[in-house]
Amino acid sequence: MDTLNYIILVPMVYISFAVFASGIVYKVVSILKKPALPIPLKIFPEKKPVWLHVLKDTFLMPMVFKAKPVMWFFLIVFHLSVFFLIIGHIELVHVFSIFQIIEHEIFLGKGFVGLALLICLIYFLFRRFSSEARNLSVPEDYLLLILLLLTVILGSELDWARTWFDFGEMTPGEYQTYLTSLLVLKPDISEVTYSGHSFMLVFHVFFANLFIMFFPFSKMMHAIFTIPLNKIRRG
Amino acid sequence: MDIELRKNLLEAFEGKLTKTISMYLETCSRCGICTTSCHVFNSMPRPEYSPAARAEVVRRLYKKYFKLQGKILPSLGEAKTLDDTALDDLNRAAYSCTGCRRCMTHCPFGIDTQQIMSIAKLMLVVAHAEPEILSMLADVSISKGESIDLIKQGFIDGLKRLEDEVIEKWKIEAGQIPIPTEVKDADILYVALAGAHSIIPAAAVFNAAQENWTLSFFEAVNFGAFVGDPSKTKLIMDRIINEAKRLNVKEVCICECGTAFRVLKQMSGKQSFKVSSITQVHARYIREKRIKVEKNIFKGTITYHDPCQMARNGGVMDEPRYILNHLTDNFTDMSKKPEDNWCCGGGGGLVALGDDTHDFRMKSAKVKADQVKATHSSMLVTACENCHSQLSDLNKYYKMDVDVKFLTSMVADSLIKDV
Repeated sequence: MDTLNYIILVPMVYISFAVFASGIVYKVVSILKKPALPIPLKIFPEKKPVWLHVLKDTFLMPMVFKAKPVMWFFLIVFHLSVFFLIIGHIELVHVFSIFQIIEHEIFLGKGFVGLALLICLIYFLFRRFSSEARNLSVPEDYLLLILLLLTVILGSELDWARTWFDFGEMTPGEYQTYLTSLLVLKPDISEVTYSGHSFMLVFHVFFANLFIMFFPFSKMMHAIFTIPLNKIRRG
Repeated sequence: MDIELRKNLLEAFEGKLTKTISMYLETCSRCGICTTSCHVFNSMPRPEYSPAARAEVVRRLYKKYFKLQGKILPSLGEAKTLDDTALDDLNRAAYSCTGCRRCMTHCPFGIDTQQIMSIAKLMLVVAHAEPEILSMLADVSISKGESIDLIKQGFIDGLKRLEDEVIEKWKIEAGQIPIPTEVKDADILYVALAGAHSIIPAAAVFNAAQENWTLSFFEAVNFGAFVGDPSKTKLIMDRIINEAKRLNVKEVCICECGTAFRVLKQMSGKQSFKVSSITQVHARYIREKRIKVEKNIFKGTITYHDPCQMARNGGVMDEPRYILNHLTDNFTDMSKKPEDNWCCGGGGGLVALGDDTHDFRMKSAKVKADQVKATHSSMLVTACENCHSQLSDLNKYYKMDVDVKFLTSMVADSLIKDV
């Protein structure tokens, strides 16, 4: 079990980030190497300044709000929650002062960001069973949602135990020791594998690793391509 | 499927994989938001009629042959083998799509289904499985360009039979030619369709504006674009470009044909002439007071259908409204924003396929008929030949009880003699 814990918490993390980084570079380079389409594809009416509307389309999704406002709400909450959780995970490595503009304990939101993300993921998963998305969905769609759901359930429970139920073991300081040790290539998992609920961290990291490795080869690349595609739409 | 054919089809597919199309194929999250935007899906809510479902027909071939996933775990994305059933699926997808691009306005990523369908259409052409009539019409247009000297005189003789009707709409001065051709250094080369209705009103308005114009020997419509054959699209377009260069015109004015306008405007590259639609030219004439039009000779409430290739895809939205507001005090728009208007359901070659697609075209455009009826108008105006034909068919089928008219003919009929 110790060996399995180590494999998941150390080499698998390194491999997943290496696959993630090289996969994204490979995908982006392979797209850039392709020829440009010589005709304009913009939609009218033109709206200027173009870049402002590109960013608005990308981050506020007004077209989704118009078509499906409920879905828009869940998409916004989902992406905002992911943003806050990314900041929270960065703070698990090091607390940068810019993130403390709003003073908070790690993670911002006292567990409610994870809860919100969980509810959004359940919505996205279940709408694929019953809406027009059902006929469009392929196994990849369900797999990504399930991986994220498992990652978020386990990660949120680690946070809720601490913030809602004062469970004192495995504090942010101990996570920081583990993550920093990975960054400096001197992995040390002792401070996060001693507790009875360390298995939850191991599973959380396991599912996160799988998601991260799958990312560059899936529709998750919309994270990279949305801005250039919206620029193409706006002209 | 024959191995050689599959190889050729995949080469054709790969040839279409530009940066943009590759991103379209990589990015769809299959969220289904696009279903709210497609007139076909909203008129006939069947899964295969959503834009994303059409794109998936192409995307699943992409996954099989151009992604690692297709080799090691094809079931993950339901990657599909390119076989005869795949060709049938490509045909159904491509020719249930008018290329209106309304889906692009709702997709969070701006995925252009028309571009993805262009892959399907090209593959059908390579497989000789495209609607034959579209290819034949494209070939006729191309051969006309190659042998124009043989048909020139016949065309000019035919124009003479239209001259009296042009003069009836607008009397010209003695010695002036009502429908000039081959005018070197003309300001405008007008490219009409093969029909008197496309030539007579336009000629009258040009003459009223005292325009230095000349009529093209070629028809504007680009069947190569409808069938998705890039080489035929270019050859048909090149006839007009070469004529414009030969006559050294300043502007090429495309008649009421959405696809022709968009093809020449956006695909001709940098040219010495500018490209405009006749709607833009007429709006300019009114604005510059080169023509004067009488208001309210057309009675009743009037509404306007935006041809997708001209409006959403070509940017010509304000000009028809400007003209109509000079023709009537009773103009009502179909929706708050022109870009929200539904497609008529006739584009992408569907009208050109005639009776073969009639049933589909009618059923798939129910939302358009409802949109027209909701305006309670007695007159429905448009600025595109395909749209006019489709809307006329919808008028009969859904008993919309409207008079379907071309905007150009309304301008011509409203001309006031004193300028």
